[in-house]
Amino acid sequence: MDFILEGFSQALALLLSGNPETWSAVDVTIRLTALSMFVSLLAGLPLGILLGTRDFPGRRLVRAVVDTCLALPTVVVGLLVYAFISRQGPLGSLDLLFSIRGMAIGQAILALPIVVALTASALEGADPRMLLTLQTLGTPPGRMVLGLLREVRFAVLAAAVTAYGRVVAEVGVSMMLGGNIKWHTRTITTAITLETGKGEFSMGIALGLVLLAISFILNGGLSFFRRRAAS
Amino acid sequence: MINPLYRLENLQVNYGDRLALDIERLEIAPGSILGLEGPNGSGKSTLLRILAFLEAPSRGFISFRGVPAAGANLLELRQQVTLLLQDPYLLRRSVFENVAYGLRARGNREGMRDRVFHSLEMVGLDPRDFAHRPWTALSGGEARRVALASRLAIRTPVLLLDEPTAGVDKGSAHLLKSAALKAREEWGATLVVVSHDMAWLGQVADSLLAFQDGRPGRSFVQNRFAGPWVAAEGGELWTMTLECGQVVTSTRPPSPAALGILDASDISVSIEKPHGLSARNALLVTILEMSLENGSGAVLLKGSCSSLVLTARLTHASAADLALVPGREAWFLFKASAFQWE
Repeated sequence: MDFILEGFSQALALLLSGNPETWSAVDVTIRLTALSMFVSLLAGLPLGILLGTRDFPGRRLVRAVVDTCLALPTVVVGLLVYAFISRQGPLGSLDLLFSIRGMAIGQAILALPIVVALTASALEGADPRMLLTLQTLGTPPGRMVLGLLREVRFAVLAAAVTAYGRVVAEVGVSMMLGGNIKWHTRTITTAITLETGKGEFSMGIALGLVLLAISFILNGGLSFFRRRAAS
Repeated sequence: MINPLYRLENLQVNYGDRLALDIERLEIAPGSILGLEGPNGSGKSTLLRILAFLEAPSRGFISFRGVPAAGANLLELRQQVTLLLQDPYLLRRSVFENVAYGLRARGNREGMRDRVFHSLEMVGLDPRDFAHRPWTALSGGEARRVALASRLAIRTPVLLLDEPTAGVDKGSAHLLKSAALKAREEWGATLVVVSHDMAWLGQVADSLLAFQDGRPGRSFVQNRFAGPWVAAEGGELWTMTLECGQVVTSTRPPSPAALGILDASDISVSIEKPHGLSARNALLVTILEMSLENGSGAVLLKGSCSSLVLTARLTHASAADLALVPGREAWFLFKASAFQWE
């Protein structure tokens, strides 16, 4: 028990003293997840709106595939992307392996089904008069997407927070595509895995606290926006 | 009718095997107010969706301002028409933003605040009190009025109202009627109104169309007198006092609250107060407008007694003999036994 308490006190010391190795993992994690979320939202929101508002041949099949992908194992995604971006792969010349951009591709693939499925569900469950109202007020097609997103903004924010929770906490993709290279591709989760294996609990706990803080801030922000909009 | 706003020919809408709407021919004049009545599922709301270009007919022809809708720019058509849904939906934002939404969607930001405030005033809501409120802080009647204000703000040439007074109190119904009439007064809007509230519809609409099983019936013009009726002369005759202070007499209604319906053809018109007539009713009205009835060739004469607008149907020759012009006073004469009851 003592080593856990000691780990906590050393963790706080690491964070407060600005330990470069610890904060490098935090920095990489934030840059990586920002990039992967940007890509997944950019692709996922229009696809989610399409799936949630339009009827087209094969829609049910697409929905089933998207729902299945919600449970994609991270190592399987890591393996598939590795095959594409490794030296022998079709994208090998782009030099993406063991880079943040390469890791972001894998994480975006993990987050994409969550954004698509939850956005589509939000629109499917939304009031059917919503679309009709926007149409009767003369909304042009370009503004329609923004109008719909604004109406279901809390559900979309929740989808984004859920997807962020998935990418910020994953290990498999970051480990396989990033290689856990110190100062370059070492993220919070890969650092925790490594340090715990080495018996260095303090850094693992310090990084774990940062992860919890990120989660708390995101969910707290979502609740704040909900309350403010309803008041 | 010269240059109708809408023209529908041999138009049908099918949902699976069910024929929801079947219109052989219908023309709607610009600046007119057409009332649609009929039982649930008779095709009224389907017609509104067709007129709003939210739905394409299964077959047949529809034109707007002389241009066939098929192949036209759908957004351009939709931006000239707006529909107030039977159960209106407010956007998840403030009252001001709800009313301003249509203006923003059109990129029309000039004088936005004034137009939003004016639209709220048209539906009887004080902008200083309501503009900042969130959509959650409104009663059902207020929400319906905000929804109408958001349609009035964009000043479309066509305003389609689906059961605008359903579930609202008398005061709100009166405000909604005033707002609808102001839309025609201020920018010449054409209105198509669906309502089960026959008294309300009768006061608003120039002409009525009765729907049954997806088909419109004969276009007719009726005047409606909502009770309460009070017994007079031993109970054989009953009376009601109009807002303008004049009294209408009828034979015994089925109940004091019954709605008395008077066909426009049962009203005769005189420019001098008649004496010794069998008709018990002689109402002094101010002539508002005269129009040629579509199809029949009769002249429809609209006269007002305070806020009550009555319509009489005259032959062309009678109208010519009377030399009536808008603004002149005339007497509308009808028998106490002419009423039908609902």
